[in-house]
Amino acid sequence: MDLRIKALKKHYESKSVLDINQLHISKGTFLGIIGPNGAGKSTLVKILSNVEDATSGEILYNGGGFSNELSKDMTLVFQKPYLLRTTVYNNIAYPLQLRKLDQAEIDNRVISMMKTMEIMELKDQKAWTLSGGEAQKVALARALIFRPSLLILDEFTANIDPSSMVLLENTIKQFHEGYRPTIIMVTHNIQQAKRLCSHVAFMINGKIVEYGEMNEVIFNSQNTDTQKFISGEILI
Amino acid sequence: MREILTGIINAMRLLFSLDKEVYEVIILSLYVSLTSTLLSGLVAVPCGIIIGTKQFPFKKPLVRFIYTMMSLPPVIVGLIVYLFISRRGPLGHLGLIFTPTAMIIAQFLLVTPIITGILYNGAKEKGEEIKRVAKTLGANPSQTLILLIKELRFSIFTGLVSGFGRAISEVGAVMIVGGNIKGHTRVMTTTIAMLRNMGEYENAIAIGIVLLLISFVVNSFLYHLQQDS
Amino acid sequence: MFKIMKKSSLLLLLSLVLITSILSACSKPVDSSSENGPQQPTGLQQSIILSTTTSTENSGLLDAILPIFTEDTGISVKVVAVGTGQAIKMGEDGDADVLLAHAKASEEKFVEEGHGIERFDVMYNDFILVGPADDPMNLSTDAPSDILKAFSLIHENNGTFISRGDDSGTHKMELALWQELNIETTGKEYVSAGQGMGAVLQMADELMGYTLTDRATYLSMMDKLDLDIIVEGDVKLFNQYGIIAVNPNKNDKINKEGAEVFINWMLSEKGQNLIGEFGKDLYGQSLFIPNAK
Repeated sequence: MDLRIKALKKHYESKSVLDINQLHISKGTFLGIIGPNGAGKSTLVKILSNVEDATSGEILYNGGGFSNELSKDMTLVFQKPYLLRTTVYNNIAYPLQLRKLDQAEIDNRVISMMKTMEIMELKDQKAWTLSGGEAQKVALARALIFRPSLLILDEFTANIDPSSMVLLENTIKQFHEGYRPTIIMVTHNIQQAKRLCSHVAFMINGKIVEYGEMNEVIFNSQNTDTQKFISGEILI
Repeated sequence: MREILTGIINAMRLLFSLDKEVYEVIILSLYVSLTSTLLSGLVAVPCGIIIGTKQFPFKKPLVRFIYTMMSLPPVIVGLIVYLFISRRGPLGHLGLIFTPTAMIIAQFLLVTPIITGILYNGAKEKGEEIKRVAKTLGANPSQTLILLIKELRFSIFTGLVSGFGRAISEVGAVMIVGGNIKGHTRVMTTTIAMLRNMGEYENAIAIGIVLLLISFVVNSFLYHLQQDS
Repeated sequence: MFKIMKKSSLLLLLSLVLITSILSACSKPVDSSSENGPQQPTGLQQSIILSTTTSTENSGLLDAILPIFTEDTGISVKVVAVGTGQAIKMGEDGDADVLLAHAKASEEKFVEEGHGIERFDVMYNDFILVGPADDPMNLSTDAPSDILKAFSLIHENNGTFISRGDDSGTHKMELALWQELNIETTGKEYVSAGQGMGAVLQMADELMGYTLTDRATYLSMMDKLDLDIIVEGDVKLFNQYGIIAVNPNKNDKINKEGAEVFINWMLSEKGQNLIGEFGKDLYGQSLFIPNAK
């Protein structure tokens, strides 16, 4: 999906939390958004995924406005996902049921997704009995299952163990290579962004201070604040 | 003490005696309370979910009002309904006074705030998150509503059981609007009140135990429904 | 495990509810006659419990005369107004000191069985048949003072009749009349309410039916009702009140002396006069006719 942001602003009461003049994310981009707490990263992705409304400004999805059809083709995975009060299988199958796929197709896709995620043994387990890492795997599986062309991840590996993180990163990488969706990933972890992303945007105080291809920004940063991030002088 | 023991023995005898009058009373109790609870659920569940997940003017006073109504004394509801449907009341021409319908109306008014309040609480806690998940996974508004109802089923279950418990155990409202007419509007609670007035403690205890058993059976039944879903 | 725990706690909860409900079901009105307040010059305990019927209480008679009794003797009277059946039961259980009721046969049996000391006639009032003001069965012309005829006409014409249905004195009187006529009361026109006189009068008003009532309750409520007196003056409708002191051998809380003082006062010239005067100012007629011997 191709995204164009124009003069996007968000105020909470009188406080400005987001102010982006212009941003173009072209189709197939894997964008990492990096910045300190309170930089407006989460607000930006919530607005992009239509969970929250902007105060003013415009977002063009594939050149047009937001629509119901579009909403079926994009998703947002939260840091603390909400799983439905049912089995793991039903959680992952839910988006496909919404799209009224036939049962055999649903079964095929869900089973192969669970195999990829190494959660086959959790198939019939109730979602509320899962550990944090397991829950995050289910949430990601549920997001990938309908192959959205815009996938937004909000610090989705913040609270999980290293081995699960490797698996989740690999799965996302394969998904990106396989279907070439646009992916926007908010992260605290520069190393993770380096491993996964094609592009990176640094945010401070609601503004994007630097944006570009990953290697260009990492090796040739023009902004003193982002240089400090990259060198590890400022811990994010 | 003798009265309690004979009361328990009598309860068993009443339950297995197939006495028509006793069963009429039990069946009417169930009919009136289940009907009022289900009708109330149809109104209160969507209302509770909407109030819990949407922002609108005067929401806070409305919620406070619902909480107050949750502990409304049945006699007051009975009195208000009575005044409306009595021959001199504005709805007198409908001829509802001293009918099971009148009892259902009164219990409906009694139970609706309870179910609404419980659903409001559940929806306030989880509703935003559920709506967000539905939205991010591509659900349309009606699919979102279905998901809300599915995810809040524990609240719905709790609301319905609490409402039913209130309905089947209250005596004030059904006594006033139903009139405890034998074979017509006499339910378990009004029977107990009447038997006590007549000094027949044994039978009062017996029907009381029957009432408890029914509450237990209905609660366990709904509990298992909840477990299986 | 989780499920089992939930189940057993549910069971525990249920049994708790069961126990509390049984306990509360058998708790009796608290006997407060043992409360020893400041000593009265008579040396008597301060209060007695009078068990009586709802119709007596509803008439307002007790509110009118009991304060005078308390002024005269220093004894306060706690009135428990219930159906005749329970009033007598309270006496049997020793939960009351004095009984004031209007079911002569039950009262005499009560004394015979040793629950009470002696029964005295106090006063009588009368029952009346009331019904819709337009009297759809024309009873007030066909049977103005013949209750049996009126009853059989109601039955023959499927008129709506509201019965107390609560084992009260009024209900017993009504049942005796049906029995005398050999009529089985069934069908939906015969409404058995299982409630007090006031509620039954309102029900008769709402359902536009006939009912048998004591005159006192009817007079005190007639402003709010569209009901007229249809049948009155039949000797069969006279209703004798009796007063009985509960046998003090039941428990040591029974206030025998207080009960005796109260009975003597009710039977005295002063008590009898007060009873006769009651209601004259409001309704222009006595509600109760004193007839102590």
